[in-house]
Amino acid sequence: MAHPIAPNSWHRNREGLGIWEGRGKVVATGVGTSPTARRWDERPETSLGALTIIAIRKAIEDAGISPDEIDGIVLTPESTTGVSNDPMSPAPEGFDQVFKMVDFPQAGITRGDIDWILLNMPELKNVEFKMNGPVCMSVALTTAAEAVSRGLTKTCLVVRGWHNLAGRYYVGQGAAALNTSSGPGKYGGIWGMPACATTAMIFEEYCNKYGKSHEMMAPFVVEERRNGLMNPDGFYTQHRPEMITVDDYLSGRWIAKPANIYDNDLPIQAALAVIFTTPELAAHHAQKPVYILNHAQTRPELQGVTPTLAEWEASSDKMGRMLYEGAGIGPEDLSFEQMYDGFTLFHQFHLEGLRFASRGEKRGYALDLYQTDISIEGPNPVSPSGGNSGNGRTRWWHHRDCILQLQGRSPSQIKRKAEYGVSGAHMPNFCDALIWGAGPD
Amino acid sequence: MPKQSPVPTELDQPFYDACNEDRLVVQHCGPCNRFQFPPRMMCARCGNPGLTWRQVSGRGRIKSRVVVYDSPVSTLVPEQPFNVATIALDEEPDVIMLSHLPGVPVDQVPIGAAVEVIFETTPATGQKVPEWRLAGS
Amino acid sequence: MAFLISFDIDGTLEFGDPPGGITVEMVRRAQELGFLIGSCSDRFPSAQKALWEARDIRVDFVAAKHMLPDIRSRFEAVKYLHIGDRELDQQLAEKAGFEFLWDHEGVAEPWLEWLESHGG
Ligand SMILES: [Zn+2]
Repeated sequence: MAHPIAPNSWHRNREGLGIWEGRGKVVATGVGTSPTARRWDERPETSLGALTIIAIRKAIEDAGISPDEIDGIVLTPESTTGVSNDPMSPAPEGFDQVFKMVDFPQAGITRGDIDWILLNMPELKNVEFKMNGPVCMSVALTTAAEAVSRGLTKTCLVVRGWHNLAGRYYVGQGAAALNTSSGPGKYGGIWGMPACATTAMIFEEYCNKYGKSHEMMAPFVVEERRNGLMNPDGFYTQHRPEMITVDDYLSGRWIAKPANIYDNDLPIQAALAVIFTTPELAAHHAQKPVYILNHAQTRPELQGVTPTLAEWEASSDKMGRMLYEGAGIGPEDLSFEQMYDGFTLFHQFHLEGLRFASRGEKRGYALDLYQTDISIEGPNPVSPSGGNSGNGRTRWWHHRDCILQLQGRSPSQIKRKAEYGVSGAHMPNFCDALIWGAGPD
Repeated sequence: MPKQSPVPTELDQPFYDACNEDRLVVQHCGPCNRFQFPPRMMCARCGNPGLTWRQVSGRGRIKSRVVVYDSPVSTLVPEQPFNVATIALDEEPDVIMLSHLPGVPVDQVPIGAAVEVIFETTPATGQKVPEWRLAGS
Repeated sequence: MAFLISFDIDGTLEFGDPPGGITVEMVRRAQELGFLIGSCSDRFPSAQKALWEARDIRVDFVAAKHMLPDIRSRFEAVKYLHIGDRELDQQLAEKAGFEFLWDHEGVAEPWLEWLESHGG
């Protein structure tokens, strides 16, 4: 549990830093994805920990290397945006007969843990470098990129799992069921906004400013589901293979208008492991190396209880400028974009910050772009993985698919040549993102 | 609207005490000449811990709006659907507060309209909280 | 005059996710006895249709959960009933003029008694 996180100096969070020192020195090769489930059925073999082990073994196998070669792990310990048990609350009966336990029983259940993984994967016997990438897989990826580029680990697993306990979380549960409110949530929480309402609020401000409407989101949501349903590892492919239509989307029940139920992503159980290494070592890996050309970070400087359109635009603009500066490329070089989409209504803020497929427009053009060909067959593939909306909530489908696209083996492979991609999560003013390349330059 | 009653702490007691006196006060950083809300131990921009509480005019503008149909807060579920608007303070439009805009029908929240603060008593403890209504209404 | 029953899916029907206590057999029985049946769920309408078709049931309607008022206006019935597992189901049902049963209350098929009290 108590592993270090990256020092702040590793995060590229301002402009003027020039080309990233690690550019072209770090590659991704193997990718391993666990099966998905809607909720945990309390069996040890379907737990977050079990899924994590499956994902790691698949990634190692995919890379065609020996587990001995793994000398580092960067892991995101948080495993949900919903309910997490207290770390000390007991594991269900039988869990400790299947898995070795660490000093807190929720390891492998509602929290990922490097020590738990190493204890239960004896084949990983050479791991020396251990670091946590808190909150988001994006942070784990940027942390691992720095670690490999700095020579701290040569062959590093980057891991994140998600759990989803039985029951409906966060509706009328815990603090929200009380008639008093404590903690920082009280400044805004007592107005009763569901999670998607902040995004809906800024989306509404966006629509009001640029003359757009919620209906204009439909082609994006439909395209994302189409892309997701091409992915054999996705939740919808595995459990709910029905295609969504424009009418379906527009018939969705409002949660916080203008966000409807289909603008929200579905919590699931799933785990991903990716292997980062050096270009030299990647020469003997089974998969084509995908180069990390830069990474960058934004964090909010909030003055109010909730961010505003101006903050989201300024922050995502800055992200775009930082990413291009450090990678030495421009928006016109991107073969596709895979910024975060959970909630669907904020995807366009990321997209516009990157000026993806812009014809000179700066802001307010993304919903118009959604009315053009944004499919994987077209000139401007938007979210070819299908993201959370097309695959279930993980905050990593889009990262994963950057690697697969640039290796030329994505289940939703774009038709145009895949040379450069971008992925990042999660909020437009709280984001860690990477530029990926098919080659070192 | 039957809001949850916020429980004050040492940090925000001056804010909630002022609410109970029908006054709106906001943390202010002298060196930055900048307001911030929610309350923090220090200025989010410069780290200055010596923040003061300043009374503001209680005037603002509606920045944006949503209509909540599926609230996580149990006490508000019977009120669904209801408005939530973001309010930008006149003194510093980057400082945002929330409002149910009592009296304004859902789907009829006028973005950009002027609003003024009122204070609403929350049922559980009687603690007052800032609310907003259309100016002159 | 018919009776109309709207089923929520997830947490209510046996093929929901999570599964609920109402079985396909109960639904089929109600339909055979002349009830108008269908689903009002957070699954999107075309997916609801596919779920029923996969179980070989031709429902009278599928709709998003908040469209209960629309269902009420489209079908003339003596009684309207919605069965679900969330407070929200109850709220939407009552607002739309539907009677409401919790998923676990529906397992006893109380609607079958309506036939007797209304002379079958
Ligand atoms: Zn300051």
